[in-house]
Amino acid sequence: MRSDTTAPWALLCVVVALIYLFSLGPILITAAVSFNETNRSLFPPRGWSLRWWARAFGPEWTQPLVFSLKLSTLTAVLSTVLALPLAFALHRHRFPGREAMIALALGPLMLPTLVTGVGLLQLFQYAGLREHIGFGALLAGHLVICLPFAVRTVSISLQTLPPNVELAAASLGATRWNTLRHVVFPLIKNGLVAGAVFAFIHSFTDVNLSLFLATPGEQPITVKILAFLEFGFAPTLAAVSVITLVLPLVLVAVVERLSGLGDFIYGERRA
Amino acid sequence: MNDHARTATPWLLIAVPAAVLLVFFVLPNALLLSASFLKTEAQQLTNQPTLDNYKFLLTRPLYLEVMLRTLVVGLCVGALDVLLGFPLAYFLVRTKSRWKGLLIALSLAPLLASVIVRTYGWYIILNRFGVVNDALLGLGVMAERIAFMPSTGAIVVGLAHALLPYAVLTIMGSLGGINPNLEKAAMSLGANRTRTFLSVVLPLSIPGVVGGFILVFSIAISAYATPAILGGPATQVAATAIYNFMINLLDWSAGAALAVILIVSSLLLLYAAARMGAKRAAL
Amino acid sequence: MPEPALRLVGIEKHYPSAVAVAGIDLDVAEGEFVTLLGPSGCGKTTTLGLVAGFFPPTRGEIWLKGRHVEGLPSFKRDIGVVFQDYALFPHMNAAENVAFGLRMRKVSSSDMAKRVADALELVKLTGLGDRRPLQMSGGQRQRVALARALVINPAVLLLDEPLSNLDLKLREEMRVEIATLQRRLGITTVFVTHDQGEALVMSDRIAVMNAGRIEQIGTPSDIYERPATRFVAQFIGRMNLIAGKVTPSRRVAVDGGVELPIPVDRDITTGSDVHVAVRPERAELRPDAPSSGVTIPCTLRQVLYLGSTRELHVDFDGGQRGIVEMPNDGSASRFEAGALAWFCAPVESCRVLRA
Repeated sequence: MRSDTTAPWALLCVVVALIYLFSLGPILITAAVSFNETNRSLFPPRGWSLRWWARAFGPEWTQPLVFSLKLSTLTAVLSTVLALPLAFALHRHRFPGREAMIALALGPLMLPTLVTGVGLLQLFQYAGLREHIGFGALLAGHLVICLPFAVRTVSISLQTLPPNVELAAASLGATRWNTLRHVVFPLIKNGLVAGAVFAFIHSFTDVNLSLFLATPGEQPITVKILAFLEFGFAPTLAAVSVITLVLPLVLVAVVERLSGLGDFIYGERRA
Repeated sequence: MNDHARTATPWLLIAVPAAVLLVFFVLPNALLLSASFLKTEAQQLTNQPTLDNYKFLLTRPLYLEVMLRTLVVGLCVGALDVLLGFPLAYFLVRTKSRWKGLLIALSLAPLLASVIVRTYGWYIILNRFGVVNDALLGLGVMAERIAFMPSTGAIVVGLAHALLPYAVLTIMGSLGGINPNLEKAAMSLGANRTRTFLSVVLPLSIPGVVGGFILVFSIAISAYATPAILGGPATQVAATAIYNFMINLLDWSAGAALAVILIVSSLLLLYAAARMGAKRAAL
Repeated sequence: MPEPALRLVGIEKHYPSAVAVAGIDLDVAEGEFVTLLGPSGCGKTTTLGLVAGFFPPTRGEIWLKGRHVEGLPSFKRDIGVVFQDYALFPHMNAAENVAFGLRMRKVSSSDMAKRVADALELVKLTGLGDRRPLQMSGGQRQRVALARALVINPAVLLLDEPLSNLDLKLREEMRVEIATLQRRLGITTVFVTHDQGEALVMSDRIAVMNAGRIEQIGTPSDIYERPATRFVAQFIGRMNLIAGKVTPSRRVAVDGGVELPIPVDRDITTGSDVHVAVRPERAELRPDAPSSGVTIPCTLRQVLYLGSTRELHVDFDGGQRGIVEMPNDGSASRFEAGALAWFCAPVESCRVLRA
């Protein structure tokens, strides 16, 4: 099926179009619903109004949105900062317990985030800090579930370093610090950014873990939306949901433009 | 030509990250494990060891039903996503369209949306006054509106939608690794395009298909938001039951035990997937 | 005797799984071009890495221009290295790559610009300074790597199989260029390769290595004409090795009973197993036995036509085989497969080596 014009290929294209419809439809429908005139989630929308969008940008919703942005940005930065020494150690040194460290670093990826959330809640309960969950607890939880992404991308970057460049730099008189500064960091910059972006998105879209560690005053936007669903599906929620989709999308598009994120998604290497 | 023998360095480097992971990941899970073997009385965790929690979960019909439903949902979602994901993945790998990059991005875009966003759309589509009902009434297929939600079927549809990109990614990875010369070889030996597909491409893509299935299955069994929104008290899955135990009933032990069952299932699946060699390791 | 530019004393490198370098002593004179030649795994690259300071030796001393350096890290040694894969910095263009070493030595920017330009001219890459490695061919990248190592005026230039990633024609061109460049600049050079052609063309001296040790050091013609061991004899060029024993009359008896009048070193005892080594191009095939020299009866098995030469593959009585290489002078081969003939060589062209 290599020619794009044969009958089997045409059939495939039709099937694929339907699958795209299945995949993107609900998201577009959610967006459309937010423009309803009345406070009902009807599709197709009856009437046309931006009032729900105005509410979506109002204080009630911007507060958790800003909270999420702060939380996820901090998570992304901290994940990257912690991932750096870890990935370096794993890449360049063979030490006893290396395999265990790898398992530990990737562990949070292997278990449902829900479980990590529950466990953390229990930890805080045990430590008598139940009343103090909120930003701190959320940060700890998000950090733990996002760290593996950062570690993976930094590791991939380190592995794609041309093999002898560090030795070349040393032979030319560069101290360890100079080698890191002038050779290694410029070359892994893209990996760092990719890791930070993945961490941000994973944190921003998380609900399973945040569910257990949020408090009414300190909630990520995903948890707030979930809570409000109890009262029904207002168009405002639709508007807010679309905002929470557009934000990561724009972020990824910008970063892709600046530094080629695609490599890390498909595992291909650009030379 | 690389042999750094300074032994203190790696330990210094991993100290802080390792500490963070130990305290906020290993410790909580260890606590869960231990709590699952302790009794809870009057909504407080005691120090009394017991196997009752597991007995409770594994003998009460309600919870057996929950676990069975979780399993069934996982299987259906996995199968559906592999079925839908394969044509899409094949198309994306083979297409020569200049919009290839955009098409790939579009197929992955749902991953960026929080589960809420994706599920919301299904709520709108499937509810009594939603699109599907309107369409079916309009076409004369039904006489009156059906409540498609809350139901296990709705959960399956919602999760299948949400997790499709994972299947597509995994299968794409596997298809992309098939040497294009193999197809040429088959055709040079007399196989037409369909035969080549059936006897060369399909068998070689099985690791990716299986890997995709396992990945989707493992995420589906621990899903919370979609089952919570599209399901109800009568259609609980493992994740919603755990939430119920922990937050509503304050039954730490039962919640922990169910969580442990979920962990063990996930780890077993991971092991199976790793054995299949369908995962790519970065480290 | 002037100080050697580079001196290795008792250098060893042990790894948990193997001994890479088992004991190397080497002096390289100022301006000399020495090649470490050997098969993969013989320890030549490890030795180079030890000189460069990429890892410390298990035992031994390294002296660079009279200074003890085996304890110093790489960046404190006055060396320039050209890697097999060139190891150019992909995020810098050619000029920046070449300037790197100067930058580390805090050379002023005006000086730097001039020296970089001079270095690029030396390797015939003038005007390509702003190209990135990705936009260059393999040959051009190799020149950038060379310029980068030369521009800092190192005390010793170390090259690790720099030509092995080039295609044949380019390889042959570059080895002459590098050798000429080295002679012109007079930089002490240690060159690592498994390609004996390169070694023979470029070197002042060759150190043939095997299993972590140097089996023989000498000039190219020493190594070629007078190999000291069987390994060296077989590694360089092709060699006929005819097994035999030392007789009481201090001759060599080869299988089939023929005794050969080749002088045997005093330290090879009577009765020991030896090999008689003679280059195919020094031997000839004759229809009748000559009166002097080394002569062994044989049967011609096969004649191979190779364009500029002919190879005659023969079988000796007793089962061994030999090869005679004769220039193709345009006439038809005098011999046909199956013919009986005599394998002959002058005594001076034969050596007796321990088995």
